Amino acid sequence: MTSPRLPPQLLRLVLLTLAIIGTYSVARVFLTPATFGQFGHYRGAALEEAASRPPVYAGAKACDECHGDTFAQLTKARHRSVSCEACHGPNRPHVKNPDIVPAKLTDRHCVRCHLADAARPAKHRQINLTEHYPNEKCLECHVAHQPNQSK
Amino acid sequence: MNSSCSRRRWLGWLGSGLGWLAALPAAKAAKSTVKNLLTSSGAPKGYDPTKHQWLMCIDVDRCIGCGLCVDACKIENKVSASPHYFRTWIERYLIRKPKPGQLALRGEVTVDSPNGGRDGFPPTLVPKSEILKAFYVPKLCNLCEHSPCSQACPVGATFDTPDGAVLVDPEYCIGCGFCIQACPYGCRFMNPDTHTAEKCTLCYHRITRGLKPACVEVCPTQTRIFGDLKNMTEKDPVQEFIRNNKVFTLKPNLGTEPRVLYANIDKEVR
Ligand code: HEC
Ligand code: HEC
Ligand code: HEC
Ligand code: HEC
Repeated sequence: MTSPRLPPQLLRLVLLTLAIIGTYSVARVFLTPATFGQFGHYRGAALEEAASRPPVYAGAKACDECHGDTFAQLTKARHRSVSCEACHGPNRPHVKNPDIVPAKLTDRHCVRCHLADAARPAKHRQINLTEHYPNEKCLECHVAHQPNQSK
Repeated sequence: MNSSCSRRRWLGWLGSGLGWLAALPAAKAAKSTVKNLLTSSGAPKGYDPTKHQWLMCIDVDRCIGCGLCVDACKIENKVSASPHYFRTWIERYLIRKPKPGQLALRGEVTVDSPNGGRDGFPPTLVPKSEILKAFYVPKLCNLCEHSPCSQACPVGATFDTPDGAVLVDPEYCIGCGFCIQACPYGCRFMNPDTHTAEKCTLCYHRITRGLKPACVEVCPTQTRIFGDLKNMTEKDPVQEFIRNNKVFTLKPNLGTEPRVLYANIDKEVR
């Protein structure tokens, strides 16, 4: 009887190849991050990590919850496109705990947006500091939330 | 002698090999559950990146150069304060009148960006009579459809997310700096502390929570409009922007197909 015979050296070769492939695939499972390939050729968890940081700016909607009247006042006036935190600064701590009061504002922040410069669009309201009531505070005459009204 | 390589033995080996292969998915699942148990991230739940496609529109005619966006970006993302590192910044373009006798439509072009515009711009010293025109241009990652930076990355640390952001995986980044060279818009830099590449993430931690990116939040003139292609509302600001303006992208000849759209830019802007 002649049973089909594999040459022993071929068998060793086959076994060796299988062992290499086996080790490779086992190692690959343990070395590639679990979420690799979830969305593409990268670590899917990186998206979640990028998203996990807490925001610093709370967003105007958050202010509306408690300062609804100011919000309504603002949206009726020319500063309607200016977000609360553009003037008052990042205020998430204050939203979480109103006892942490936002910093007081100085005239400098009005000037930042309204100082005349050739590169500013002509339709934007601009002032010349030397001509526009130099020695007085902006808020003595203007209402911050309703700039088209004067005091 | 014959027995050592009998068919039975041979099949046995094959069977155990297949058994190992079948165990792989189980091992994978076990590993990911262990990992999930060990790390609980503060990421918002229920955000599906495949259901969004973010984009940004910038109306150059509206920018007043107040620099609040630059300031907000640095604060929000804790970007290094020194004046070389910006995820977004503002440039002031100044185009002079051609000199008398000079046969040209426009004169010299100067661009400045003191501290990226973070503290606002001091009024220009060039007298008004010499200026043909001047304007501000906010710059940020152009969110390329075909991003050269992610193609240049040798380790796959930079990638395009399904929702349109281009992110860097700091765990994979080896800090080689190829992406910084590859970005035609100069939007990347090396984080001086971690020595990994850093860039605008479109405030990924904000947009996944339904907030606007910090720069858009504080922009006082709606120069920056942020939108979602996959969730267009009726009268969407993005659609209005495209309806009302001539829309361009930066360096269109490079074929990067940016998803940051600019309205009303001059050919001097690059
Ligand atoms: C949880 C409710 C709440 C939210 C949300 C909130 N505030 Fe307030 N805010 C208060 C209260 C209460 C006071 C009064 C505190 C006091 O006078 O001691 C206050 C006071 C202020 C003041 C005046 C501080 C002063 O000097 O008297 C400012 C400015 C302010 N908030 C801005 C904001 C902004 C900007 C936001 C949005 C980011 C915001 N607030 C969100 C409750 C809130
Ligand atoms: C144009 C800049 C600007 C914007 C935009 C703005 N504020 Fe103010 N706000 C001011 C200034 C200036 C003051 C008064 C000066 C100070 O802080 O002492 C003030 C004062 C306040 C106060 C103190 C009480 C009062 O009414 O005088 C509150 C509360 C307040 N702001 C809330 C808000 C909220 C909420 C928003 C968004 C809806 C907002 N502000 C938007 C500039 C601004
Ligand atoms: C003495 C009162 C007074 C003071 C102080 C004052 N303003 Fe005015 N401001 C006015 C009046 C009145 C007008 C409207 C008439 C006009 O156009 O001059 C005005 C107009 C403006 C305008 C609109 C200009 C235009 O072209 O329509 C801006 C912007 C402005 N002020 C900003 C400021 C800023 C910023 C400050 C602080 C540095 C300031 N103002 C200080 C009284 C004042
Ligand atoms: C973040 C930028 C910003 C800040 C800060 C700011 N403004 Fe304005 N202001 C604007 C914009 C935008 C308008 C809308 C009209 C325009 O483009 O001129 C405006 C309009 C005005 C107007 C014209 C109103 C009208 O009737 O046309 C006045 C006056 C004014 N602001 C005064 C002030 C004063 C006073 C402060 C300081 C409390 C201030 N602004 C702070 C951005 C700003």
